[in-house]
Amino acid sequence: MKELIEIVGEENFTDTLEELVPYSYDASVNVQRPNSVVWPESTEQVSQIVAFANEQKIPVVPRGAGTSLSGGVIAINGGIIIDLSRMNRILEISIEDRYALVQAGVVCDDLNGKLAKYGFTFPPDPASSSVATIGGNVGSNAGGIKGAKYGTTRDYVMGLQVVLPTGEVMNTGSRTMKCVSGYDLTKLFVGSEGTLGVITEVTLKINPIPRHAMTAVAAYGRLEDAGKAISQTMSSGITPSVMEILDKITLKSIKENTDIDLPDAEIMILTETDGYTREEVEAQMEVVLRILKENNPSLIKTAQDEKERVELWNARKSAYATLARISTSFVLDDVTVPISRIRELLVGIQEIAQRHGLVVATYGHAGDGNLHPQILYDAYDAEQVEKMERVEGDLFRLAISLKGTLTGEHGIGLSKADYMTLEHDPVEMDLMQRIKRTLDPNNIMNPGKMSL
Amino acid sequence: MTERLQFYEEWREAIIQCSRCGFCRAVCPIFDVSKRALANARGKMILLKEAMEGELPVTDGVAQALMRCTTCMNCTVSCPSGVEPDKVIKAARREMVTIGYDNLFKAMGEVVEKYGNIYGEEQRHEWRHKQGKAPYVLFMGCVGAYREEESVAETIRLLDLLGVDFTTIDEVCCSGVLEDVGYKVKEALAQHNVREIRKTGAETLIATCPYCYRVFIEHPSYKDLGLEVKHITQFLAEVPLQVKTEKRVTYHDPCDLGRHSGIYEEPREIIRKIAPTFVEPERTRENAMCCGSGGGFRGTFPRDSLKIARNRLDRIIEETGAEILLTECPSCLHNFRNAKLRRQKIGIYNITEFIAQLYQEGASVGKQAAEG
Ligand SMILES: Cc1cc2nc3c(=O)[nH]c(=O)nc-3n(C[C@H](O)[C@H](O)[C@H](O)COP(=O)(O)OP(=O)(O)OC[C@H]3O[C@@H](n4cnc5c(N)ncnc54)[C@H](O)[C@@H]3O)c2cc1C
Ligand code: SF4
Ligand code: SF4
Repeated sequence: MKELIEIVGEENFTDTLEELVPYSYDASVNVQRPNSVVWPESTEQVSQIVAFANEQKIPVVPRGAGTSLSGGVIAINGGIIIDLSRMNRILEISIEDRYALVQAGVVCDDLNGKLAKYGFTFPPDPASSSVATIGGNVGSNAGGIKGAKYGTTRDYVMGLQVVLPTGEVMNTGSRTMKCVSGYDLTKLFVGSEGTLGVITEVTLKINPIPRHAMTAVAAYGRLEDAGKAISQTMSSGITPSVMEILDKITLKSIKENTDIDLPDAEIMILTETDGYTREEVEAQMEVVLRILKENNPSLIKTAQDEKERVELWNARKSAYATLARISTSFVLDDVTVPISRIRELLVGIQEIAQRHGLVVATYGHAGDGNLHPQILYDAYDAEQVEKMERVEGDLFRLAISLKGTLTGEHGIGLSKADYMTLEHDPVEMDLMQRIKRTLDPNNIMNPGKMSL
Repeated sequence: MTERLQFYEEWREAIIQCSRCGFCRAVCPIFDVSKRALANARGKMILLKEAMEGELPVTDGVAQALMRCTTCMNCTVSCPSGVEPDKVIKAARREMVTIGYDNLFKAMGEVVEKYGNIYGEEQRHEWRHKQGKAPYVLFMGCVGAYREEESVAETIRLLDLLGVDFTTIDEVCCSGVLEDVGYKVKEALAQHNVREIRKTGAETLIATCPYCYRVFIEHPSYKDLGLEVKHITQFLAEVPLQVKTEKRVTYHDPCDLGRHSGIYEEPREIIRKIAPTFVEPERTRENAMCCGSGGGFRGTFPRDSLKIARNRLDRIIEETGAEILLTECPSCLHNFRNAKLRRQKIGIYNITEFIAQLYQEGASVGKQAAEG
């Protein structure tokens, strides 16, 4: 690997076992040892690494923070991990033209910290934003709690600099709010999970931060009622910035394991409206509250001040951590369905959980139909591992049968690769294969992901 | 067959509880300067998981990797899965030593036993302070007494100025740091300290070093001290102070004082009394970034330790624009002073030292006024 050392320098290369071990994992259950790791510091270096790998037909895996929940950064065929964490410079912030130009390794929250000083933000806010990189956000088209109103990463990527699998450097997109010049190659790379090239720079559209927000929660004894409340709100002409749900199992776990006070309910909704004036926010919330009330809630609370707002958010914010603490292992999925099918999804998830005898707690973004069933199990118990896999399979089939998708934001990676054909017909699969082969004839770029 | 680490059930559970979310990347001081996955808690939990499962052979490389931790608890307070990596890592270091992977602190243990301090210094600074009986007894600790003598001298001067009736003892290293790096407190040293402290008849032991403070409070070898133990900030918070500064002042929470001991308020109470323009760094209190010196890290990786201190110092300066950085820990003080570049104009002091100097300035101003 002396060629790699020549490119990045001794201190930015490793192939020692202890250092490779952490790079064999991400936040999913997948594991595989890479052969080496490099920490490039420039696009030029990335280009040289990839050109070398292509020549030698060695797989390369672009990696940001490695928070992938789908095995997206696992070097399934070994090879070189390209860790972009050191390419973490914010190159330009233009408030006037409303964009930020960053290197791929910039951490999402670091960018937002800088933008906040100007009253601006990059709105997709994955729960992992304290560590996830912009490159990873683009690679997996990350979304977050405010997806229904503000969209996902895709809606903010104006342009990219990409090192193609041949080592060539390509610049796509523009600095303009509108652009229909040629094929939209930028979007082809968004959500491509590192299979088409290494993203080195990203131009992002930025939004002003809304000045006001109002928060409310409602609890329901019947899923039907909550389902109706959600659908009616989302079709009322008002788009709440937040429309989150927590199911019964999640509520029970939080209640039993923290001192957060929660109602006994089948489901709880947390919602928020936001905007630039107090009046606007209140007027929107009035509509939302009316709909929530019309559907037989067992409880409704609104926050009067920041302290109460934080309290209402408490349960939602602690869902993941609580479930992570009470179980040895878990798988966090992100199936997504049309909003009108959320109730069926929730009922179906519980049927599946009971059928296989595992606990599945579900919470997530009802406003865009993206739910997070968290499957609790013990990775050291072979029987439970098998059950977990069966639960996942049934879950994916359920989502597709409801006209939904396997993944709303975490990506296919390795975990869902076998299920691609559930969602995509042979013609579409074939075109994806052909695109991949055209760009990456030697299949060196993050092979095996998305079954490509 | 590969050798496996044989963890107690408690540690095994903690290790597999790590969900590999990677959130500790955001807070780990070592990761922040290296960006290498092995540096943060997730990397080390994965390493231990494989060592425990027998997937990874236990080698010197593993032992070295485990030394890459300042035990600062930054990850512990932000881990959603409730893992306490600092505790796991300390336990793993003990395990490594037990199965024969000694580290450089073995030699330090011998030095401490022979010389009574971690540096193997034969001569101790002459503080010219009274020894014998008094209501208070002051314990300085090795880093202060042998590396930041002037700061300690100022602390002593302040206590004198404030009319505190205290004594010092012929102290030896509390040897607590050995517990962090795989070894044990040196019983003979502990008993020497306990004996000397008891001889003073004091009711309160004032520790200037937050680490010594913790050892006196937490370690069973010191259970017979038979007096109240206070960190010097706890003591000083209750004392009225007659000096003020107009300078812009900020404060760095030492890991051992903050996250490890829960002492956040007292230092701030003192600072608010003397500095009306007190500004907090962005990462402060529970989230205060470590200075890079703890857990045997400075001893093992001096260059990286300095890099971390420089990183923290740069950020503090950028975020606060402060002219004065205060802390109350000889290790933090020492690391920051070493890290400071000449072009950085910030003054770095222990709180007690800074206040002593304010008294001094006040006295000279008063004298000038009287003369003028
Ligand atoms: C606790 C937790 C909560 C999460 N919450 C959310 C959430 O709310 N919303 C959400 O969308 N996701 C969430 N995720 C998933 C994950 O954090 C996001 O997908 C995030 O965007 C990944 O960023 P990363 O830097 O960690 O990327 P990585 O995990 O390193 O990589 C992700 C994918 O992108 C590719 N990639 C990374 N960098 C580049 C690059 N420079 N060029 C080309 N390809 C690249 C990788 O090859 C991989 O396929 C969560 C994860 C965890 C552990
Ligand atoms: S924050 Fe905790 S659970 Fe997450 S990777 Fe770090 S140690 Fe593991
Ligand atoms: S205790 Fe501190 S140095 Fe050690 S892994 Fe955690 S954050 Fe990093």
